[in-house]
Amino acid sequence: MKWDYGEPEDFVVSGNGLFIVCEGNFQYGNGSLSYYDPAERTVVNEAFFRANGYRLGDVAQSMTMANGLGWIVVNNSHVVFAIDPQTFREVGRITGFTSPRYIHFVSPTKAYVTQLWDNRIFIVDPVAYRITGHITVPGMAFDQGSTEEMVQIGDYVYCNCWSYQKKIIRIDTRTDCVDGEVEVGVQPTSLVSDCLGRLWTLSDGGFDGNPAGYESASLYCINPDNLEIERQFQFRRTDDPSALTINGTGDTIYWINRDVWRMDVRSSRPPVRPFLEERSTRFYGLTVDPRRGDVYVADAIDYQQQGIVYRFTGLGQPLDSFYVGITPGTFCWN
Amino acid sequence: MIAAASAVVVLHAGEPQQELDNVIVTARRPMKEIGIQKTTFDSTALKENVALSMADVLAYNSSVFVKSYGRATLSTVAFRGTSASHTQVSWNGMRINNPMLGMTDFSTIPSFFVDRASLLHGSSSVTEAGGGLGGLVKLGTAPDMPEGFGLAYIQGIGSFRTFDEFGRITFRNDRWATSTRVVYSSSPNDFRYTNHDKKLNIYDDDNNIIGQYNPTERNRSGSFKDFHVLQEVYFTPGGGNRFGMSAWFVNSNRELPMLTTDYADETDFDNRQRERTFRGVVSWDHSRSSWKTGLRGGYVNTWLAYDYRREMAPGAPMATMTCSRSRVNTVYGQAEGEYTPSRKWYFTTSASIYQHFVRSTDRSSAVAPSESERIGYDRARVEFSGSVSAKWQPTQWLGMSMIVREELFGDRWAAPVPAFFVDALLSRKGNLMAKASVTRNHRFPSLNDLYFMPGGNPDLKAEEGYTYDAGLSCLVGEADHFSLSGSATWFDSKIDNWIIWLPTTKGFFSPRNVKRVHAYGVELKTGIAWRPLERWLFDFNASYSWTPSVNIGDKMSSADLSVGKQLPYVPVHSSSFTARVQHRGWSLLYKWCYYSRRYTMSSNDLSISGYLPDYYMNNISLEKAFSFRPLDLQLKLAVNNLFNEDYLSVLSRPMPGINFEFFIAVTPKF
Repeated sequence: MKWDYGEPEDFVVSGNGLFIVCEGNFQYGNGSLSYYDPAERTVVNEAFFRANGYRLGDVAQSMTMANGLGWIVVNNSHVVFAIDPQTFREVGRITGFTSPRYIHFVSPTKAYVTQLWDNRIFIVDPVAYRITGHITVPGMAFDQGSTEEMVQIGDYVYCNCWSYQKKIIRIDTRTDCVDGEVEVGVQPTSLVSDCLGRLWTLSDGGFDGNPAGYESASLYCINPDNLEIERQFQFRRTDDPSALTINGTGDTIYWINRDVWRMDVRSSRPPVRPFLEERSTRFYGLTVDPRRGDVYVADAIDYQQQGIVYRFTGLGQPLDSFYVGITPGTFCWN
Repeated sequence: MIAAASAVVVLHAGEPQQELDNVIVTARRPMKEIGIQKTTFDSTALKENVALSMADVLAYNSSVFVKSYGRATLSTVAFRGTSASHTQVSWNGMRINNPMLGMTDFSTIPSFFVDRASLLHGSSSVTEAGGGLGGLVKLGTAPDMPEGFGLAYIQGIGSFRTFDEFGRITFRNDRWATSTRVVYSSSPNDFRYTNHDKKLNIYDDDNNIIGQYNPTERNRSGSFKDFHVLQEVYFTPGGGNRFGMSAWFVNSNRELPMLTTDYADETDFDNRQRERTFRGVVSWDHSRSSWKTGLRGGYVNTWLAYDYRREMAPGAPMATMTCSRSRVNTVYGQAEGEYTPSRKWYFTTSASIYQHFVRSTDRSSAVAPSESERIGYDRARVEFSGSVSAKWQPTQWLGMSMIVREELFGDRWAAPVPAFFVDALLSRKGNLMAKASVTRNHRFPSLNDLYFMPGGNPDLKAEEGYTYDAGLSCLVGEADHFSLSGSATWFDSKIDNWIIWLPTTKGFFSPRNVKRVHAYGVELKTGIAWRPLERWLFDFNASYSWTPSVNIGDKMSSADLSVGKQLPYVPVHSSSFTARVQHRGWSLLYKWCYYSRRYTMSSNDLSISGYLPDYYMNNISLEKAFSFRPLDLQLKLAVNNLFNEDYLSVLSRPMPGINFEFFIAVTPKF
């Protein structure tokens, strides 16, 4: 068999682009990274592979910018890669995880990495590229462990606990301990903070037979100081919302529920009409350009081919579309 | 066809079949096989190597596609561009497809346990069972042992500390025949390979990367220990009666190899699958001059365990991440009859029933002590299949056959499955035959498709479609001297409601009826056996398949690029070749197979991750048999992957390079 991997390519891209993290197919090691330049409307697919000459890995989950580097969490490869965001070249890696999901930087020298199937959040030293400790989440069985997205407000990091869980936990970054939690709906999938300093999360409601429960999905607004739920918007039982995100000014939240929806964080009622209607699409990932306000939504199509990303203005006018890798799930702005 | 081609073959119409020291003399074509597209494997292919699984045998001796996830790892078989779940598998008449998964892992079927093996391609599978949209693999045991007591022992010692042991004790007299076979295979399976999917970094003192290289790694977490025992008893009391019993027990303990893209330390994780399966079949056959009847009963019990655990700290006990347990109980019964009122007519009828009981859970009682915290399903399903057929051969030049099959799955009756077959002897010279068939077929969703928790979809429809094929075959030869056979078959099928498991936003997969597939192509086979001199035998067999399998469904969205494209992991071209030379106890066997590029994306994108390049595989073995007064002795050296091909069958699954195994076989004489 001829290996057509070729030599690493040299890239130098602008610093204001969008990384698209494409999961690939579970157990096939074909996760990939794409890069889109909104100004030039150009896209680089398989960016990690082409720049480094080896695969990104199995189930590329998320990416975070910190310390001038891009940190890509590759879930089923048990690795976090650090790359130069202009050249896509690897500059370091951290290994030793159980099933990493997201990385959040508390400081330039300390970051948290959340896990699936593990009740511990790993503490890493991103300078030395090593795990330095962990935070055990109380009241969570190891095999049903799930910690996901993280948001920091002051000295506290908030994290939604998703698979077989139904709570948001609060971590004191000074002690690296969980010091509070609030129960929300079954399986909160995502977490953002708004311009008013409040948390928003979206529970998917689980599934029939789920030991954590099965109920209608809900959107929650939470006061981070006292960990009380301020508002709850319940979806219909047949709804399947996901991918909660927020714009750059923190005043409008967006989510996918077949269509793309958005809501002012001050609104007392959920929207009755979608922001973008689906057209036989399978919207899977969603982001909002923090500078321009453009909305990007990814369609995974059949999950076995290149997904496509549609770009819209903040008014919902189509601007562009481009193919990326298989199952584009999350985004990261440079 | 392979049986005919692998030995010296001559046709003598009207004469019974004889077997004379590698010479097979075939009688007129049996009415039972009018229009049937069938590949039969001879004992040379099946018993060639104690270490071979049926996956290995099929890969090198047929045109089916064997998708292997690694050495001693899941291997599935697909016909004519269909999927593994479209291949039905029977053992001694009983279907052994896992009712949860719908497919069969051929890496767990040792070829030494199989005495009879054949493939029924496409519509021909309807003669045995429904659901074989691609075809059917028919496996069986037989009382082939010699008179009196027999004992055989084979020891294989191979690369990667592989040990294969096989033993067999037989007894046979006028009425009774018994056989006990045991196989035990084990290996750490830690073969070395160059990992092209990963690079290791070289750092300076300040943690800067100053160099990278593709590491030479060992296959991690790939060990296996497989134990099989097979007991057979046959009783022929006379009066046209024959009773049979076969019982096969498997105890398999296999680690699941880590992906090439995995950066975990293998000592931190334990990823293991264990299986204990018992399969038993009892049968009674009663034959008279013009009619025949038979009854079969069977039972299958499978216990499957999958554990994924990780070490919490050095030296600490492993903590469970995933703990799946499945239990399958299947009770099987079948009655069949044949009636031949004249040389021109032949009627058959058959009715079989399977009652499956499946319990599948995804949490151990230790972790989730309450019933409500366990995830899974507990279901039973009855499956009935009945058929009647009439075969008519008005002259030796023409035969026609009509089958109607009716099936019930749970409480859902399928529409009747009709199949029509015709064949014609175009020329007695060269035994030039034309065959054609047409059928409508269907495959019901597996129990996991319907009920798996989470994700099972009870609203799934059965996959269904029409299949047509037509072909020519020929066979020429001279008694005890040479034979030449060949066949060419065209096939065409369209399958609706193709089931695919797709991700959901809730983190699990769920099956849906999403595609319509047009699978078509050509299968070519040829075989030459030549005995130029006394005690010399040259035997060559080759097969080739051209199997476009194209998604012709509707676009899932305007951006969908998969319509009109080849299905992922289905090669358009596949081929195999074997050459054997025998002389005075020496036997040299060369095997070769080829698979063309396999796309990994439904859009057939030619990006780096979008396809797997084509590859060739070459194996060779040399064997010498010695005969001493107290025993027969055979020594054999097998070389696999002769040219150390660096290849992948599936993305991110490492495959071994060149490897060796030495066998010694001892057969005492009583």
